[in-house]
Amino acid sequence: MSWKAACPTGDVKQDKIKECTIDGVEIILVNVGDGFRAYPPVCPHMEQYLEGSGICANNVMTCDRHLWQWDMKTGEPLGPAEKPLLIYDTKEEDGQVMVFIDEELEYDFDDDDDD
Amino acid sequence: MLIEIEKKSKTYRFEANAGEKILHAGLRAGVPLPFECATGTCGSCKARVNQGDIDEGWPEAPGKENFKAAKREMLMCQCVAQTDCNLTVPSKIKAFREDDINPDHHQGKITDYEMLTSDVLRFEVKVPIEGAFHAGQFFVLQAPELEGYRAYSMVNYSQSTDTLEFIIKKFPGGELSNWAFESNRLNETLDVFGPLGRATFHPDEGHDLFMIAGGSGVAGLMSILEHANQVNYFQDHKVELYFGVRTPNDLFFAERFRAIKTQHPDNVSINIVFSNEPPTSEQLSGNDGLNYLTGFVHERALPAVLEGGGNTMHYLAGPAPMVDALIRPLILDSKIPADRIRYDKFN
Repeated sequence: MSWKAACPTGDVKQDKIKECTIDGVEIILVNVGDGFRAYPPVCPHMEQYLEGSGICANNVMTCDRHLWQWDMKTGEPLGPAEKPLLIYDTKEEDGQVMVFIDEELEYDFDDDDDD
Repeated sequence: MLIEIEKKSKTYRFEANAGEKILHAGLRAGVPLPFECATGTCGSCKARVNQGDIDEGWPEAPGKENFKAAKREMLMCQCVAQTDCNLTVPSKIKAFREDDINPDHHQGKITDYEMLTSDVLRFEVKVPIEGAFHAGQFFVLQAPELEGYRAYSMVNYSQSTDTLEFIIKKFPGGELSNWAFESNRLNETLDVFGPLGRATFHPDEGHDLFMIAGGSGVAGLMSILEHANQVNYFQDHKVELYFGVRTPNDLFFAERFRAIKTQHPDNVSINIVFSNEPPTSEQLSGNDGLNYLTGFVHERALPAVLEGGGNTMHYLAGPAPMVDALIRPLILDSKIPADRIRYDKFN
């Protein structure tokens, strides 16, 4: 696998979530001001589709279902969230958002790490 | 039945009685299992059955939306163990507050029963122990011969009380609601389990309070107001409440609001919002210290939210669509941090 074009950079607005499917892999894209981030499409808590349930403001994403939150630049959990967002590498090329998809990133919903 | 939950750091074991929901058995034993609504709608108490047989209870529970049957995923608040069970719980198992009270089962007796409006009734349930709870918490109630628990927040507050005060709205199709309204239920008994819930008030946190309630959702917020008032909290903290009902005839608790407003007129702001009719001329005269408005409660309340929230804790309580409609603008437009929002959604 390799770098794939997801969509034109202008399609990914700040404070919005853009859903794309690349070679059958669903991702969501966000604009963090100085670049883009791509994550798997669902919340790592209850698998809610973040395109509908995600709220983006000030580079913090909140899932409106149970108020899990993440730093959109790093994916790190904030507040009550217990798991980070997984992140695909992204870059800009010829006005396109490029996403590096080696394999589909998926959350382990059976993970019972309680440290 | 022995229930075993293995986490990396620790294995939890507790006994579940025949017919007892696994969530209740664990919480009763002091295992702080994850949960939110405790009534099958939110999905927070998800677990996977590795070994053993369960009765999953309510098969169409909305909280199971994304669950996988092949992995034997289920809601601990709905299911009952039929044999010893080994479970995986993906969410963290962590205590919330040191002063949380372990919930337990009680047989409660209805000791007071009165209609507040044409479709809201108030009743008190006496439980056989001194039932301390945090203001804002709820119990789940099950009426005789009815399947399933329903969650109701307490209206009253006292540091030590054997009485739980509830309000309940007439709700066609709601089994417990139908049971409660069918006839005067004074002296009848109910199964209750609690206290539960984290949309609570703690004076030591020192927040100003901003509250939005729809209909009978005001119950838990009334408990918070009463607790705060008992410790003279409004001497140096502010509270702003927006309470939505349909018409002046649907308003209840006006006297209780007034009693608190009168003591601290500068720090207490009570706003009653009617969605279907304007306030009466007497209400508009402003003599009783409460503010009366017209419109939808969220539309009236949101402009009053302080951007960024300052030191304020925001409490939302009411029907799920109302609460969902508030969370997004609070975070997006008012820039309120998620840990300054506490909510109870009633389905």
